[in-house]
Amino acid sequence: MTPGTIKRGQDISGNLTLDCDFCVVGSGAGGSVAAATLAAAGARVVILEEGGHHTRREFNMQEAWAYPTLYQDHGNRATEDLAIMILQGRTVGGGTTVNWTSSFRTPDRTLRLWADKFGVTGLDPATLAPHFEAVEHRLNIHPGSRDDVNRNNQKLWDGADKLGWRPELIHRNVKGCARLGYCGMGCPLDAKQSALVTYVPDAVAAGADLYANCRVTTIKRKGHRVESVSGEFLDEDLDRPSGRGITVHPSRGLVLAAGAINTPALLLRAGVGDDSGLVGKRTFLHPAVPMVGLFAEPVEGFYGAPQSVSCHHFADRGTNVGYFLEASPTHPMLASIAFPGFGDSHRHLAERLSFAQATIALMVDGQHDDPGGRVRCGADGRIRLAYPLGDGLREAARDAIKNMARLLLAAGATEVISLHAKPIHIRTDAEIGDLDRAQFGPNLHTLFSAHQMGGCPMGDDPKRSVVTSRGRHHQIENLWIVDGSIFPTAVGVNPQLSIYAHARLFAQAIARGG
Amino acid sequence: MIAPEPLTPHALARRSLVKKGMVGGALLFVGGALPIALRATRLGPEPRGPLKLLSRSEHAVFSAIAARVVPGPAADPTWPSAEALDCAGKVDALLARAHPSIGREFKQLLTLFENGLVGLLIQLAPTPFTRLSPTDQDTRLEHWRDSRIVIFRTGYQAVVRLAHATYFSSPEVYPLMGYPGPPEVPAFPLR
Ligand SMILES: Cc1cc2nc3c(=O)[nH]c(=O)nc-3n(C[C@H](O)[C@H](O)[C@H](O)COP(=O)(O)OP(=O)(O)OC[C@H]3O[C@@H](n4cnc5c(N)ncnc54)[C@H](O)[C@@H]3O)c2cc1C
Ligand code: SF4
Repeated sequence: MTPGTIKRGQDISGNLTLDCDFCVVGSGAGGSVAAATLAAAGARVVILEEGGHHTRREFNMQEAWAYPTLYQDHGNRATEDLAIMILQGRTVGGGTTVNWTSSFRTPDRTLRLWADKFGVTGLDPATLAPHFEAVEHRLNIHPGSRDDVNRNNQKLWDGADKLGWRPELIHRNVKGCARLGYCGMGCPLDAKQSALVTYVPDAVAAGADLYANCRVTTIKRKGHRVESVSGEFLDEDLDRPSGRGITVHPSRGLVLAAGAINTPALLLRAGVGDDSGLVGKRTFLHPAVPMVGLFAEPVEGFYGAPQSVSCHHFADRGTNVGYFLEASPTHPMLASIAFPGFGDSHRHLAERLSFAQATIALMVDGQHDDPGGRVRCGADGRIRLAYPLGDGLREAARDAIKNMARLLLAAGATEVISLHAKPIHIRTDAEIGDLDRAQFGPNLHTLFSAHQMGGCPMGDDPKRSVVTSRGRHHQIENLWIVDGSIFPTAVGVNPQLSIYAHARLFAQAIARGG
Repeated sequence: MIAPEPLTPHALARRSLVKKGMVGGALLFVGGALPIALRATRLGPEPRGPLKLLSRSEHAVFSAIAARVVPGPAADPTWPSAEALDCAGKVDALLARAHPSIGREFKQLLTLFENGLVGLLIQLAPTPFTRLSPTDQDTRLEHWRDSRIVIFRTGYQAVVRLAHATYFSSPEVYPLMGYPGPPEVPAFPLR
């Protein structure tokens, strides 16, 4: 087997036309494992990735470099009203290059919901188990250790434990982690076992060619088949088309893995595959509401493994929208754009950064009546996401900030601050009721998302889903989708392992002929 | 099963406002129709280098906003000014790489911020932003932030987040936040 290569946009001097078996768009969780699986099965694979090829030598742990270079929209992605900031990767390895290493299998109850209410078939825990195991093995996912727990996460543990909310240690995909705390800016030690250092090299070793800085814009369909896919190379400094392009003719098929938001956007832009009218709708975000606890002693949430403790006590709230609790790292830029206010009031919080603990409640959207967001994309390629915060999510957000306040006070916080435009300060349990007056709505408080899902849901009914329960497009027989966009609702846990495992299962089926 | 959002008047109003996008719709019309208001802009300090996206006046408007939004030496001399960290220059460079329509909308947003008519509407004060006193600038920012109209709150978020992002990602402010900066990286590989 001759290994493939990774080429950057700057290495390409003219227009390219390529033939292959499969073209994979996107090199994140879904794309990398799909490409590796297909290439290992002997297929000729071409991977097209919009982001650059950045590796550990460049990962300088500076936010001013990392967010513009490694994230979608140079770190400025958000819903169109800017109410929810969206952290999403755009680099070889996709979100896995910058994610926080938390690794969970898809909860059984989520798989059951998808089967019962969304017409998903044949994706039960037993079917997925070998794929979870294989990915866990390749990414060195292992149970968390107490030594991983920094003070930021320890406070979460202490508060949840005192209240009987059963905190758990998080499994992480790391090998030789020095607990530096910079996973979100790319691991400078390659300790994080992201796609960048696992499935992408596996795919290339098995013969796949990867083109970085290559944005796919066009998909040509003829009848029930994709004929070709085209993209433009980007000048990385300017982030503008370089004038050179690529057209790929994949004889066996096109595998989309540009991630939630971007995969639906690509289909809409290309005007292909929205036969159901569902593409881009029901996009989910696990919208995260943060609370800050101030402690008398330093917390230094910018150092140490970013996430090592989770609490799923509120994940299943019956008829109400559930949420789960984790910690967020507190590097200066990330924290300061989340902190409310400006000028002096903002400085008051900023200068106490090292004493601040950040707990986040990630709301499990889409499992109730909330419709999620809607992606749109026109011919100019500008992607827009509208995401209304409905009553169910507002209720969950209010419940979450009250419980986070309880937790942080139990952990010993001297003050808890809601990140509202007009923050509410809580110092004692008796004051928690003050949070009942908290307003929720666009830009009244901080919300962010690091987990994008949905927009091309799977299921067996072509009227209610875009792809089958094996990722194949209902109307286009040689088009598959293998990224986070296939999930009919939010997963309810951090999604990377779910995406890897589903993509691996789908890719094996694709390799066998669909 | 999945019920659509109920069509209450409130939901309708919210939807139609939200749909206008970051700084779209009616506001763009007002802003776009009145570029003349920028004539009164106080230009302030020169940009450090050639601007890639913003005009000289737009740069001045953002500089004036950033000066109020970041901690700054007026309140505490230990904190550097937005100008010292070249926040406006960094935002110009960042948005020059964004999708061209985002760059255009941001320019229009700055026009609106400066626009005397918008000032009249939001604060009953027709003075351009750059010509207000620092206290009145803060009040104008608060009006944008607390407006009942989503689009104003969106505009506020756009300028404040960019000012904060460029300022607080500068190593000069790390010590003031009690952040010692990135640690030494142990020898590679560790395992
Ligand atoms: C800061 C952060 C922290 C996170 N922490 C965790 C965590 O701890 N645990 C967890 O489970 N998950 C975490 N996630 C989420 C997780 O990383 C993502 O859910 C996962 O990577 C998504 O996989 P994907 O295959 O759907 O898409 P991605 O991994 O996002 O890959 C999609 C790729 O496609 C490329 N692309 C997009 N459009 C095009 C186009 N038109 N042409 C060519 N290429 C294109 C993108 O540049 C990107 O590289 C985190 C994410 C972020 C951003
Ligand atoms: S915490 Fe571990 S995995 Fe994350 S950046 Fe540091 S060394 Fe890498």
